[in-house]
Amino acid sequence: MIKSIGQALQQQFSRWVYRRVPLSNNVALNTSNLFIFPSRVGFSFLLLILLCWLVATNYENNVVFAITCLLTSIFLVGILHSFANMSGLSVSFVRATPVFTGETLSIDIMLSQKKSRLRDGIKLSFKGEEVTTVSFQGKESITTATAHVLVLALKRGNYDPGRLQIESVYPLGLLRVWTKVDLDIHCLVYPRPIFNTFENAIPSGRGEGALQLDNGSEDFVGLKDYQLGDSLKRIAWKHYARGQGMYAKHYADFQDERIWLDWDALPGLDRESRLSVLTGKLLKVAATDQHYGLKLPGIDIAPNNGEAHKYQTLKELALFEAADLKKSRWGLGKKRKRKASKETSR
Amino acid sequence: MTPAWQIHRNALVWLLTAFTAVILVHADHLPIWVFIAALLAIVWQIQRYRGAWSTPGRTVKYGLLALCLAGLILEYGKPVGLEPMVALLISAFSLKLLEMEHRRDALLVIFLAFFVVALQALFDQSMGNSLYIMGCLVIVTAALVGLHQGVREGSEGAIQPLRPLRVSAVLLLQALPLMFLFFLIMPRLGSFWSVPIQSHSAKTGMSDEMSPGNFSNLGRSADVAFRVSFEGDIPRQHQLYWRGLILSDFDGRTWSRTSPFRYEDTHLLQWFGQKQQAWDSLISRNGQPIDYSVILEPTHQPWLYSLPTPLPQSPDVALTRDFRLLSSQPITSKTQYNVSSWLDYQIAPYELSSLHRFIALQLPQGYNPESLALARSWRKSIRDDLQIVQQALSLYNQEFTYTLSPPLLGTHSVDEFLFKTKKGFCEHFSSSFTFLMRAAGIPARVVAGYQGGERHPDNYLVVRQYDAHAWAEVWIAGRGWLRVDPTAAVAPERIEFDLESALSGGEDYLADSPLSLMQFRHITWLNKIRLRLDSLNYQWARWVLGYDKVQENLLAKWLGEYSPLKIALVLLILGGGFLGAIALWHLRTLFSSEHDELDREFLRLCKKLKKAGIPRNPGEGPRDYADRVAKQRLDLAREVKAINSVYEHMRYGSEGQDRLKILKKAIKRLK
Repeated sequence: MIKSIGQALQQQFSRWVYRRVPLSNNVALNTSNLFIFPSRVGFSFLLLILLCWLVATNYENNVVFAITCLLTSIFLVGILHSFANMSGLSVSFVRATPVFTGETLSIDIMLSQKKSRLRDGIKLSFKGEEVTTVSFQGKESITTATAHVLVLALKRGNYDPGRLQIESVYPLGLLRVWTKVDLDIHCLVYPRPIFNTFENAIPSGRGEGALQLDNGSEDFVGLKDYQLGDSLKRIAWKHYARGQGMYAKHYADFQDERIWLDWDALPGLDRESRLSVLTGKLLKVAATDQHYGLKLPGIDIAPNNGEAHKYQTLKELALFEAADLKKSRWGLGKKRKRKASKETSR
Repeated sequence: MTPAWQIHRNALVWLLTAFTAVILVHADHLPIWVFIAALLAIVWQIQRYRGAWSTPGRTVKYGLLALCLAGLILEYGKPVGLEPMVALLISAFSLKLLEMEHRRDALLVIFLAFFVVALQALFDQSMGNSLYIMGCLVIVTAALVGLHQGVREGSEGAIQPLRPLRVSAVLLLQALPLMFLFFLIMPRLGSFWSVPIQSHSAKTGMSDEMSPGNFSNLGRSADVAFRVSFEGDIPRQHQLYWRGLILSDFDGRTWSRTSPFRYEDTHLLQWFGQKQQAWDSLISRNGQPIDYSVILEPTHQPWLYSLPTPLPQSPDVALTRDFRLLSSQPITSKTQYNVSSWLDYQIAPYELSSLHRFIALQLPQGYNPESLALARSWRKSIRDDLQIVQQALSLYNQEFTYTLSPPLLGTHSVDEFLFKTKKGFCEHFSSSFTFLMRAAGIPARVVAGYQGGERHPDNYLVVRQYDAHAWAEVWIAGRGWLRVDPTAAVAPERIEFDLESALSGGEDYLADSPLSLMQFRHITWLNKIRLRLDSLNYQWARWVLGYDKVQENLLAKWLGEYSPLKIALVLLILGGGFLGAIALWHLRTLFSSEHDELDREFLRLCKKLKKAGIPRNPGEGPRDYADRVAKQRLDLAREVKAINSVYEHMRYGSEGQDRLKILKKAIKRLK
C-alpha cells in the first residue's frame, strides 16, 4: 500500500520533472531544469551538525557552537557551489554508432560551456546503465567535452534509451544536483544477427533470369518443358517413363554472385527470427565482395555491395515494422500514452 | 581479492593528512598507544594502496579492536567522561581507516574527523587552539572534496593535487560571514543534562585542601588562572586578595573545608536574583562597590574567586554563608561572571555563634605540642587578641625565610616549621599562624585563593597559577573576621609586587613553564608581544567564549526586542544577502556570457558614437558603420577606421589576438 503510494508519488514527480525539461536538441542547464536535494551523505551531514549542536549546547561551549554554525554555513554555501558545478552547461547529442541488438551502444553526448570554468564529477547515465564521468579542468582553451555514455541496446529499431540523467555531487558530496534531459537521441539498433548453417541450404533465389545464364552445364537447377532443340542428353527420361510428360533437365551457370536476402525464403519463422537470420546472412555476405539485395514485404533493395549499401540494408532490417519507441514512451503524459497503446494494439 | 572500490591517490593523501591533523590536535590528552595505533593504521593504509600489503584480515582487525579496548580500560578504568570517549572515538577512527573498502567507509572517517575536531574545543577554547581547529576543518573539508573529485580513467596526472584545498578554503571563507551571523543570532538553550568533564590528566590548579607543598607547586606554573576586567581602576596590589576557599578543618597536617552541613542555617546559598537570606544582615558593606567581571579558566571545581566581600551579578552564581562565591556547576569550560565587591566591610563583628566559634577553634589532639605551648604562654601574658596576632607576626618577621622550595616536614609539621626549618611558602605561614591563633584561643581559619595579578592596559588583570596564595582570617570581637597575611610579615614584596620580586633569585620560579613567554619578560619587545597576545586572548575570551552571557543584551540593543520572529527575519534577510552575493559570484559568467570581451569593447565604442550623434543602424556591419562615421566626422575618421581594422582582425582573422589592450586604450581615448 505504502509502496504503491510511494510509486504513484514518484511517478507524479517524474511527470512534473519531465514537463519542466521538455524534449530538446540542446539543453542549457540552468535554474529551470536543474534540481537540487541533499544526498544521503548530506542527510548524514545534517545529523552530524545536530550532534555538534547538542554537544555545544550541553557543554555550553561557544567554540563548538561556532563550529556547528560553520558546518551549517558550509552546507548552505555548498548548495551554491554544487549548483554552479552544473549550471551554465549545454548538453547536446552528437551521434551514436549503430550496433546490433544485445550490444552496448556508445552514445556521444557533448557538454559545452561558454566560458571555461572548473567543473568536476559530472555523471551521465541512462536509467540503470553504466555511469560516465566528465570533468572540466578549468583551462581557458577547453570549453567542450564529449562523453561516451553507454547503454545496452535491447531492441532493434530507432532505439530510444530514455532520458539522459546528468548529476553531480561535487564538491562536497552533500548535495545532489541532477536533471533528466530528453535529448533528441536517434540511434539505430540492428537486429541481433543469427549465424547458422541452415540459411546456406536455402536456394539463393527463385530462378530469376537475371541471375542465371541459361543452359549452362554446371548446376542442376530444375526441370523445364521439353522444347525442340533441347539436347537429348538432358531429357528427363525417368519422368517420361513414369508418364509424367516430356521434360528437359535444366542446368545453369551462375553469371555473377548476386544474392538475395529474401524474407519469403524463410517460411515458418517469426518476424524477429527472420530478420535475425537475414542480418546474419548479410554480415556473412558483406564480408565477401558478393553483391546482395534485400527483399522484405514492401521493400526491395537492388543487389549491390559496399559500406553504404550495407548500411542501408541493415537500416531497412532494423526499421522493418519496428515500433516507434519514442511515441509510446510514458513520459509524455497519460492521454498520449493511452493513445499510443491503442495504436500499438491495433 | 580486489577491493570493490579503490580510493584515488589524491583523495587518500588528503584523507590521511586530515586524519593526522585531527589526531595531533588531541595530542595533549591522549595516551601514547592511541598514536601508535593511528600510525599503524596510516602505514597500513599507504602500504595497502601501494599494493604492498593486503587488507588486514578479520583476526588482525578484531585483535586490534580488543587491544584498543583493553588499553582504554587500563588507561581510564571506567569509561565515563570526555577523555575516554575521545580516546574511544579516535581508536574507532583509526580502526575504520584499516577497513576502507567502500566510499561510505571513507565518508565515515571524514565525518568522524569533523566530530573529533569539534570535540577538541571542549578541552581548550583558547584563541590559538580555535585557529588550529579552523585549520583542521579546512583540511578535513579538503579531504571531503578530494573524495568527490572525479577521476578520469588513465589520466591520474590530470588531477590537480592542491585543488581540494583551494576549493575547501574558498568554501570556508564564503561560509564565514554566514557562520558569524548564526553565531550572533542563534539562541543558546543551555545544557540539557549535566555532563561533567572528567579530567584524568593532572591539571595545575588549586585543590580544596592545603597541605605543605601544594602551593609551592603552583608557584612553578605560569598558566592563567583567571582574567579580570574592572569597570573602574584596578585596586591597589595589596588589596587584591582573591578569596576562593575557606579551610577550617585541620588534621595536624592538612587543612580542608568544613562540611557545609555543619552550619545550622537552612539556606546556605543566596543565588543571584533571589531574595536575601537572613544571614546577609551579618555583613556590613561600606562605601562604593567595585564592579568587575572575571573570566575563569576551567577548574573542574564549583567555587569562584572574588575580592571580599562580593555580591554576585551573574545568574547561576551564589553567595555562600561564609561570603564566598559558588557556581551552580563545576567550571568545565572558560566561564565569565560579574561581581560587585565592597573592599570596606565587616563580617559578623559582634557575635560569633557557638558552633562557628567551635569550628574556628578546633585543633587535633596530640599534634605539635611545642607550638601549642608557645601559644598558651602568649595567652597568659597578653590579654588583647590583636596583640597576640602582632606577637605571632613579629615572630615570623624576625627569623623566617620565604622560599619556593621549603624543606620537607614530618608529623608535627607546625612544630618542625616554627622551631627547626623556618623556611616556607605561604601555606606554611598561614597554616602555622592559624594553628597558633587557635591554640591561643582566637577563632581563626585559613583562606585559599590568589593574591595580586599582572596589570594590563584597559583596566584588566591576569592572575596566574603562581599567584596562588593562602592567608588567614581571625575573628576579633567588635571587628569581625579580619584578614591577616603572615606571608606579608616575612616577604612584603610578595604582596606589594609579585612572587618574582619576593623570591631572592636562583629559585625555581616558573620551573614548570620553561617555554612560557613569562620567562623572557625582561626582554622589552618580547614582553610587548606577550602583553598584546594576552590582551587578544582576553578579548577572545570576553567576546567569543562569554558571548552567550551578553547575547541577549546585545541583540536587544540592536534589534529592539528579542523575539523569534525578528531572529528569523534577520537570519533570512542577512543570510539571504550573503548567499545571494555568493550566488552572484558564481553566476558572474552568466551575465557576461552574451558577449565576449571583444564584443563588449565594440559595444562601448557604439555607445560613445551614439552619444556623439551617430548611432549604429540595426543590422549595420562594423565596417559600414565605421565608413559612415568616418564620412560624418572627419576628425574621428582615422581612429575609427583603425579601431575597426583591429576589431576585424581579431574577430575574423587568426592574428592579433593580443591587441585587446590596444583596442581598449584606443576606444578610451576617443572623444
